[in-house]
Amino acid sequence: MSGPASGNGPVSLDDARWQEVLEATNGDAWPCYQCGTCTAVCPWGRVREEPLNVRKIIRAAQLGVEEDGGMLWLCTSCGACETRCPRGVPIVRVLRALRSLAWKKRQVPKGLPSVLWGLYQDGNPYRLPPSARSDWAKSLEVRRFQAGDEMLLYLGCTASYDRRMQKIARALVRLLREAGVSFGTLGDDEPCCGEAAMALGHAAYAAEIAEANARLFAAKKVRALVAISPHCYDMFLNHTPRLEAGFKTLHYTQVLAELLKAGRLSFKGSVPKRVAFHDPCYLGRRNGEYEAPREVLRHIPGVDLTELAECRENALCCGAGGGRMFLETPAAERFSRLRVRQAGEAGAQILAAACPFCIACLEDSANQIEAGPAVMDVAELALEALGAPAPAPGTAVQGGRQGG
Amino acid sequence: MTENSGGFHTIVCLKVVPRPEEVVVDPQTKTLDRAKARSLVNPPDLNALEMALELKEICGGSVSILSMGPPFFEPYLRLAMSLGADRAYLLSDRTFGGADTLATTYTLAKGIQKIGKWDLALCGEESSDGATAQVPPGLAEWLDAAQVTYAFQMAPADQGRMRVRREVKGGWEELMVSLPAVVSVKGNVNEPRFIDFDRRRWALNDSPVTVWSAADIGAQADLIGFPGSPTTVAGVRQVGGRERRKQFLEGTPEEIARELARLLKTQAGSR
Amino acid sequence: MADSLYGAEQARGVWVWLEHDGQALAGVSLELLAKGRELADKAGEPLTGFILGHEAGSLAEEALSRGVDEILLGDNPLLKNYTTDLYCAAAAEAVLKHKPNLLLLGATPDGRDLAGRLAVRLRTGLTADCTNMEMKPEDPSLLLSEVTGFGGGIAAIIACLRHRPQMATVRPGVFLAALSAKKSGAELRRFSPSLEGVPRRVEIVKRSIGAEVDITKSKFLVIGGRGIRGDFGLLRELAGLVGAEIGASRVAVDEGWIGKEHMVGQTGFVTRPKVALICGVSGALQFTVGVASAETVVAINLDRSAPIFESADYCVAQDLFKVLPPLIKELRNSK
Repeated sequence: MSGPASGNGPVSLDDARWQEVLEATNGDAWPCYQCGTCTAVCPWGRVREEPLNVRKIIRAAQLGVEEDGGMLWLCTSCGACETRCPRGVPIVRVLRALRSLAWKKRQVPKGLPSVLWGLYQDGNPYRLPPSARSDWAKSLEVRRFQAGDEMLLYLGCTASYDRRMQKIARALVRLLREAGVSFGTLGDDEPCCGEAAMALGHAAYAAEIAEANARLFAAKKVRALVAISPHCYDMFLNHTPRLEAGFKTLHYTQVLAELLKAGRLSFKGSVPKRVAFHDPCYLGRRNGEYEAPREVLRHIPGVDLTELAECRENALCCGAGGGRMFLETPAAERFSRLRVRQAGEAGAQILAAACPFCIACLEDSANQIEAGPAVMDVAELALEALGAPAPAPGTAVQGGRQGG
Repeated sequence: MTENSGGFHTIVCLKVVPRPEEVVVDPQTKTLDRAKARSLVNPPDLNALEMALELKEICGGSVSILSMGPPFFEPYLRLAMSLGADRAYLLSDRTFGGADTLATTYTLAKGIQKIGKWDLALCGEESSDGATAQVPPGLAEWLDAAQVTYAFQMAPADQGRMRVRREVKGGWEELMVSLPAVVSVKGNVNEPRFIDFDRRRWALNDSPVTVWSAADIGAQADLIGFPGSPTTVAGVRQVGGRERRKQFLEGTPEEIARELARLLKTQAGSR
Repeated sequence: MADSLYGAEQARGVWVWLEHDGQALAGVSLELLAKGRELADKAGEPLTGFILGHEAGSLAEEALSRGVDEILLGDNPLLKNYTTDLYCAAAAEAVLKHKPNLLLLGATPDGRDLAGRLAVRLRTGLTADCTNMEMKPEDPSLLLSEVTGFGGGIAAIIACLRHRPQMATVRPGVFLAALSAKKSGAELRRFSPSLEGVPRRVEIVKRSIGAEVDITKSKFLVIGGRGIRGDFGLLRELAGLVGAEIGASRVAVDEGWIGKEHMVGQTGFVTRPKVALICGVSGALQFTVGVASAETVVAINLDRSAPIFESADYCVAQDLFKVLPPLIKELRNSK
């Protein structure tokens, strides 16, 4: 057996493990020269006594020795370390590969196998019935996608099932209708994108899901897919194979920005508020999209757009990526707490984001402090900017909730 | 075919059930329409399998899967093998249809006797479609074996015995159980491991699934299926779906309190 | 069709197995005696309470005052605690001697453990977890039992036409334990089961009966969240009145108001109570998956637009500190 890389004791090397790690990481850890910038910039260092020692994990991967325990599962794959790494090490990819080996040894935190069983049996990580997937759209009469539609609206699991995030989905439906976009959804047959499996490091299962999805989209003749969650967006953009004609992957903020630019959508109402935008890691740092959401916010009459102390490439993660959404984080260690504080410092009345995970974390933390900012999704702000509500069937943004 | 070659042998009884929320009553025939419902492995059976696999890690030996049902069960048996089971037996015969607890336990017992040497038979505490929890004790009776229900912890002990903790009213008890024994495992006592993708190719294509008919296991015709079932279904009806009512109670706090008190008592039943 | 060990023409009497812990009769057994009385009257048959144990005479005396026609007490030192083999042997002996028409048991861990095995030994039918029972009006010796399956969504009426006894188990709380007076002429009969040669394959090493917190097993949960502002006092008082366990949202655990063993939700426990009374929880998805299998959800939250109301059967959009005190008063008065 190999010994742990931590501590001052001798490190015993294990050739088999070395080979295994080398294969799993594809040699990605090699260029690292152990400068430690990664550990220094990792947000965990700001909320925990003991930071996430990324440098040490990478060193252990180079040597092929066991990395110590649960630290691996802290990573939110925010990518802050990668952007600063002078050697260009794809750190998140290395950590995922190490998680992948942990799956083989069944050394994974409690609760994570259930998340994957959820994907496998229910098609969502929340273990909710697949037949309830399109319940969010009941009052909206959203039709099924058909070949020739301009785009497929891909909800994702969180916007489909989470009552709070369903509001984002409904807002988006209203906006797309307003702009006259021809679109549809896959209804209850919408599959999970598989990002949870990817982020939790189960590479084999993630690849299987991605392949099935590629086949499904090809069969449905999807030309463009618009995702609500940047996590789904990233999965479809970067990890899903393209078959035959392939399809274009868009984040909804890109679609809205485009519609506004083309004059297909215009805002008649106004939102006279000071708004700060929180860059979701999977949209910004991971895929370089910083402008589209700001473009949409700038179009909204009345919005006074301000920036958080850490924004764009330097944005601080909300804490939910890398599968952390499915693991418990003590309240005092949540990045979203710092983020909400930054919004206060920027004088923002509204903290906007464009990701259901970010919204969940930020809203949770905003509620825990006195006079925290309102947390809203860009799509919700855009809906408010539309002005007077359009006539039915698009009116039921609040759902069927009625007193009496 | 992997032979059952000595060592500690655990048989896990596994059932495939329709997703509860997708089963409806056919308004015409008043029978259950399962045709449109998707299926899954009865969830507590996966807890039983996980316990069997954990025991295998301690005791060695092998794990077999036993199920009774139509041929479409087979992929689910292969799923169990991709988790770590070694082989599977499917009791499949038209004449098994319509079995209640008595006929089901008889048939499974005949299957186990046909498999041969066994030490432990594990079942999930109950099935999500029948929810009777009566199969494990019935099975133990047919096999004239020891039984333990609602187990949540198991460990090997001395002289062919197991140390088992089971739930009882208001607590638990620890038992020493002589083998062979039939044990039902509480749901949610462990977290079933996820599919082993290295094992899966073998499980899907090459793993041994043996299908046995009524004749193969030497089952007596008057003890299986409809003829072997003393109970009959006299009628079926749907009693409300999964959708919540979302009914707001209005009034003064006192009026609401009165209504809530009434609701809580009727919904929770008397104690 | 294979027959049971005795036929319908010989069968007579409604039997209830009386479960106990040596100190008191189980609540579900008292509930079954009340229901059993009703069924026995419909069928025109006597009601028998059937007790197994050792030195359980005082329990038998107590049961005599519950409207039965007789109590049958099987006494043996080996029957002091429940074990399957011995209880099953003693029960089978008594049933085969007296040939009851009905045999009802509580759907407790031991009740189900015994019922499943005994039914096979007697080669008869068993209906588990009945939610209702009645004697068939046109044929008052035949029991019709209603059972629900599929998450409570579907109910089936089950009958056992020819095999006797007609066996059924019923969960605690389904029927009311009406206080019935002692019937005149009710008598206590004793018998000594012969347990020689009965294998003892299971031996009890240790027992622990007490108050461990396990909210996944609770039939009634009172759950508090951010809105209770750190005060579980009212909730505990209410829970005590209805025999509920306390659950909590992640926020309440985060804030250190209560231990993690009470946490409901995706990273806490997934529960399946009959009733969940949820106070001051906003209702994020990560929480509501923990009560998705509850039969009935009641939510109290000041904010009428809180998402929790989407996941509730009964919604109260009021200040919980104004609603809970009168509710506690109501529950206390009706005890």
